[in-house]
Parts: sequence; structure tokens; C-alpha cells
Amino acid sequence: MSRELHRYYRSLAADTDERVLPAPDRLRRSADRWARRRAAITVLAAAGLVAGTVAGSQLVLAAGPGPDPVPPPAGTPTPQPSSAAPSVAPSPTTPSPSVGRTPGSRSPVVTTTSPAAATPVTIPDRAFFVLPAANDAGTGNYFGPGPVLPALCGATPGDERVVTQRARSLPYRRTGAAADEVPSGTYRHSITIYRAGGAGAALAELRAAVRACPEQPARGTPPVTVRQRLLPDSGYGDESVLFETRTPYRDANGDPSGGDEVHLVRAVRSGDVVTVLWEQGWESTSTQRAQFDADSRRAVEAIRRWLD
Amino acid sequence: MRDADSFDDFYRSTSGRAVRYGYAVAGDPAEAQDLVQEAYARAWRQWAKLACHPAPEAWLRLVISRLATDRFRRLRGWRLAAGRTGPPPDVEPPGEDTVLLVAALRQLPTRHRQALALHYLFDLPVEEIAREAGVPTGTVKSWLSRGRARLAELLPGVTAEELEVNDVA
Repeated sequence: MSRELHRYYRSLAADTDERVLPAPDRLRRSADRWARRRAAITVLAAAGLVAGTVAGSQLVLAAGPGPDPVPPPAGTPTPQPSSAAPSVAPSPTTPSPSVGRTPGSRSPVVTTTSPAAATPVTIPDRAFFVLPAANDAGTGNYFGPGPVLPALCGATPGDERVVTQRARSLPYRRTGAAADEVPSGTYRHSITIYRAGGAGAALAELRAAVRACPEQPARGTPPVTVRQRLLPDSGYGDESVLFETRTPYRDANGDPSGGDEVHLVRAVRSGDVVTVLWEQGWESTSTQRAQFDADSRRAVEAIRRWLD
Repeated sequence: MRDADSFDDFYRSTSGRAVRYGYAVAGDPAEAQDLVQEAYARAWRQWAKLACHPAPEAWLRLVISRLATDRFRRLRGWRLAAGRTGPPPDVEPPGEDTVLLVAALRQLPTRHRQALALHYLFDLPVEEIAREAGVPTGTVKSWLSRGRARLAELLPGVTAEELEVNDVA
């Protein structure tokens, strides 16, 4: 691939991301207002056309040969030809994309079908889940390099089987948190495509790595120990691995202050694809399980929609 | 009945990519914002049907493409509406790479720009670009190949040798 062209397009994407569109509710209101106005103009135009047609036909009939018709009594409503009844015509500027068709004169059928059972080789943006509005921290997400799993005594589970990988950092807000609060936590969210059959082996290696590394020294002053342990997990993708990392809370001096800071990591396999959601907290917050489970399901669902 | 929540989710999850695409195709950031907003306005007006569309984002991109080639009619209505809501907030000037790329893209045919944007911004494979554009895959490969060759002439640091054969596969 042309690295330079990718760099140019990444620059364009980064510059574009600074441009803010209006909030969706504002856009909807504007769109509705315009639709109402256009409909009113169309009705008025149609009514004017009908009135003009009727007036014109009366003039033509009045000027025609034959005995003068008896004029109707004043106040009698003028009959209108039913065929000229006004109807609201679709706006010429509005595309009419019936389901399964695309707008415009040509009609290429857009479908999401991918080559059957083929494992993809690139990971598009749409494979990454979107936070619901209540959990959107308003910071967007950042795709970039960095570890996708916590340190596990130097193990690199599944690395030699990787075809491609993309990862992002995604701050989020817990449901009910005030909009002006700092984010409630950050996800390190990765999607990895493995060679055929490699994803299952990668998860097995991850389980083994967590088991083999119940504790390890973590960076910090004074030194602190981080402990890892597997947790039971089911119901996510084809299979999943869930584990926690646990470190003692420390005060401003670095001394233990009681309790543990706990973070959850879940790796879910869907065919040859594995998505990992690693909750990293925000300023020493611990993972909230319900939120983590819900976002794990969103991550798996996004993968499913991408692969379908 | 249109479901505002599902539209808002769709809008939030796709609008960033849509503006990137609009910029890459229209070649002007303010125009890209205008036409993307109009595309979403149209999407909302037909959301009852579009929500069931198998690929609403692809539908949106097609509307954006068509609007980009039909600027005159497009701007008349939306600019009146945008005028009532005031100007958008100031943004930083684009980076040097963006300026160079956009200037180069303006010298490419629209179809080449669309194919390159779908490839580089959406990571779409050639088959999907062809499906979305309604043309054979060979045509898309030709657009990508010629588009990249032209960009290699226009952009510093991009050489034709760098563009491998499988770059379009």
C-alpha cells in the first residue's frame, strides 16, 4: 500500500474531524421545517394551477358557439373537474430511495453482502462499536499504536498469528454522569484478524498467559504488585476470555489506602476475528461491570454486523 | 413513523466519516459540511423507509456524491436555512498535507475522487466500491490506478514505483 497516500488521507481526516456538524435534533428540526415549507408551496402551486385551469376553461366555454347558458345564481359553487384535483407532488429535489434502491436515475443496488465466509483482510471503522448518547464522553476516539492487553509477565498471546489489527482509545461516560464531568473511564478497544484457526489458539494462549501470571510487579513508586485472575464468562461471540487486573488503591504519597483498583479485560472471538475491550479507568476509577458488559455486547454486535 | 433515536444514533456514528468523504469528494471543507448536512436532512425526511435500508451509510454517500456534482441547486435551499442559524464556529486552518491533497484531488475526475475516498477513508475493498458505484470491478481498479498515478504526479513524496500492483486489489 502507498504509505504516503495513506498519510495524506489521514491528514485530511484529522483536519475534517475538527469540523462540527449541528446536533442531530437540530438537524432534524431544520429538515422538518423545510419539508413543511416545500409541501405548502407545492399545494399552493397546485391550487393556483387548478384555479387557472377552471377560469381558463370557463372563458373558452363562454366564448364558444351556441345559446348562452343560463348563468348560475350568485353564490353557487363552481364545479371543478375531478381530474384536476390538486395532489401533492413529490419534490423534484428529493431523492426517492425506495428500500433497496439508491437515489437518482441510475439504480445500483447497494447491499452489504460480503464474499461468503471470506475472512476480511482490512478492518473498517464500522467494525468498531458506537457509544450510545448517554455514554458518549464527547471526546471522540483515537486510533493509534499501543498495547491492546495489559502486561502479562511478558507473554504475547497470539501475536505470531495476527493478519492485521486496529486499536483505539475511547473515553466514555457512565449513564447518569453529569455532562461536564471528566470521563468515567477509557476503553482500549482492539480488533484483530488472525490467520484461519489462529483466533481460537490466541484465546487459549491468553487464558494460559493469565493463569501463568497471577501477579507481577507494576511500575510505580513505591513498587506495587498487580494481580491477574480469570473470571467465568459466557454468552459473548463464539467464545470469550474475561479477566481482571487488581492493584491496591494508594493515596497521594503512594501508600495503600484500602481497597483495590480493579479493571476488566474481555477478549471475544467471532470466527477468525477477536475483539478486546480493556477498561482502563480514569484517574483511579475501577471498572463498573454492568457498563462493561453492555459495551462488550455492543462491540460484539458491531463485529457481527461487519462480518455479516 | 420515524424513530428519532435510531436516526440520532446513525447520525452520531456516521457523520464524522461522511464529512471526511464530502471533503475528499467536493474539495472544500465548508461545502462538504453543507452537502453532508443536506444529505442527512434528506435521510431524516425518509427515515421511516431508510431505517430498513440494508446499507443506509452507502445510501448517504451516494446522496453526498450526487449533491457534490449538483452544487448549484443544492446550495440554494440549505444556505437559506443555514443563514438563520448563524455561521459555524471558526476552525483551525487545515494542515499542509491536507491542502496539498485537496489541491491535487481537484484535478482528478469526480469518479476517481470517489473511488479513492472510499478506498482510503472507508477501507472498502474494490468489490464493494464497484457495488456501491454500480460499475464492474475492473472499472474501479482503473479509476484507482489512474487516480493514484495522477496523485503521484501531483503530490510530493508519492512515487509511482511505490504503488504496487496489488495496491488496487
